[in-house]
Amino acid sequence: MAVLKVTDLHARYSAKGPEILKGISFEVEENDFFAIIGPSGAGKSTLIRCINRLVEPTSGSIVFDGQEVTTLRRVELRRLRRDIGMIFQEFNLVNRMSVMDNVLSGRLGYTSNLRTLFRAFPREDIDHALSLLDRVGLIDHVDKRADQLSGGQRQRVGIARALMQDPKLMLLDEPTSALDPKISREVMELIKEMAQELKVPCLCNIHDVKLATECCNKIIGLQDGVTMFSGLTGDMNEEKLGEIYAMEVL
Amino acid sequence: MTGLSANPALSRVADRVQEDRRRSRYISGALTVALTIMVAWSVDVTVIQDTDWERIGSVANVWEATSHFIGLDLELFPDLLVPAIETLLIACLGTAFGLILCIPAAWFGAMNITPYPPITYPLARLMMTLSRSIHEIVWALFFVAVVGLGAMAGVLAIAVRSVGFIAKMTAEAIEDIDYGPVEAIRAVGGSNFQVIVYAILPQVLPQIVSVVIFEWEINIRRSAILGLVGAGGLGLVFFRQMNTFNYHGVTSVIVAILIIILLGEAISYFIRRRMI
Repeated sequence: MAVLKVTDLHARYSAKGPEILKGISFEVEENDFFAIIGPSGAGKSTLIRCINRLVEPTSGSIVFDGQEVTTLRRVELRRLRRDIGMIFQEFNLVNRMSVMDNVLSGRLGYTSNLRTLFRAFPREDIDHALSLLDRVGLIDHVDKRADQLSGGQRQRVGIARALMQDPKLMLLDEPTSALDPKISREVMELIKEMAQELKVPCLCNIHDVKLATECCNKIIGLQDGVTMFSGLTGDMNEEKLGEIYAMEVL
Repeated sequence: MTGLSANPALSRVADRVQEDRRRSRYISGALTVALTIMVAWSVDVTVIQDTDWERIGSVANVWEATSHFIGLDLELFPDLLVPAIETLLIACLGTAFGLILCIPAAWFGAMNITPYPPITYPLARLMMTLSRSIHEIVWALFFVAVVGLGAMAGVLAIAVRSVGFIAKMTAEAIEDIDYGPVEAIRAVGGSNFQVIVYAILPQVLPQIVSVVIFEWEINIRRSAILGLVGAGGLGLVFFRQMNTFNYHGVTSVIVAILIIILLGEAISYFIRRRMI
């Protein structure tokens, strides 16, 4: 059964603005590592942000975990977001907070306002955070401030924060674009390992096609908000890639 | 000098340049004349006509009046200790209470987080403008009328007067934040409150602290004079010395005010240095 089913999704940022997504459909199944590729401006980031409604789609349907996402009210939407982890291109950590506080912020959806004010997270959250930090190799950096870490380390904090949610789906928005090639590969491999270990399906925007074909089992190729390719990684070839990136060649 | 007659195009440019320069000379000449007339008129109205020359008398009289103030009333100093502490406390409490009033003002006044822009944003801006455009003495007069004579009126006046600046700076800092963390906290299912506490506040906290210390330093100056209208502290003693023609006592109070202001500046300097 599909974890996530997107049907005929349209999105635009303002009523008169250009349409960014022009009817996108795809399904993410359990154990999928699903890549969204395409040139800059194709709508990859918009698409991934529509899934947890950081961007409001204008029409179409998104069914996640048996629930229609597009019609959810605010409180229900927040409950839904707890089940979807997200990793960002620019890490989006709170720089002036410690690594620990950043990872714990993954539990905010389950934390009362009063506890948030005093950053009083329950013991099991702290245990969970420590085991994740150990797993991503940052156990020696727990008390450091996030802005004292290198890019690769920051993204590992981002991974731990997303996994802190015990997500049923992970959204990865260009998780390695801000990193150098070697670190990119390490981070991508870590994400893939963790996803397999915890059996979380992933939906991943990715610019690096080679990395995408190595890590992902399914690919959707976007160009200017339109699906140019959708299928298994094995079915992807140079010719189709050329088609997707045609705009860039021009 | 040879003219540019050989080159008519260049000659035309030269004519235009000369014309422009002549015009700007006329304009600055006219402005100078206008300014001189305005200054002369101001001096006539405010100084020459408005001063009681008979009372000033000769230069010697002026010097004598000034010399009344030279010298300290040392016996007064022990009596200044309590008012000096009171002045400091009015500044501290006023700043602290002002900071509390700033929470709604900064929240409503930052365009990106204001709950309902068409109403809450102008409301906050109105609060800020009102706070800053009315002088602390006028605020103190108002609060003396409301809560009576004493330090309480001073604290309220300082608090209300502080809101404008602290809230404005805080709101502007909030408008300039990095949205990355905001997006991240939204994505984990955080509420608006959690976004403010976890993603916005940590980013603006250093600026808030810096602005509050700055305002506190200014508030010491303000609270030192608020006693003039009966709102407690050193100003009240100043007023009393003046009324009893104890000019040495007046100078003593001024020295005391100077000391606590320098103290405030020193403290604020050290806190800032430790923070940065």
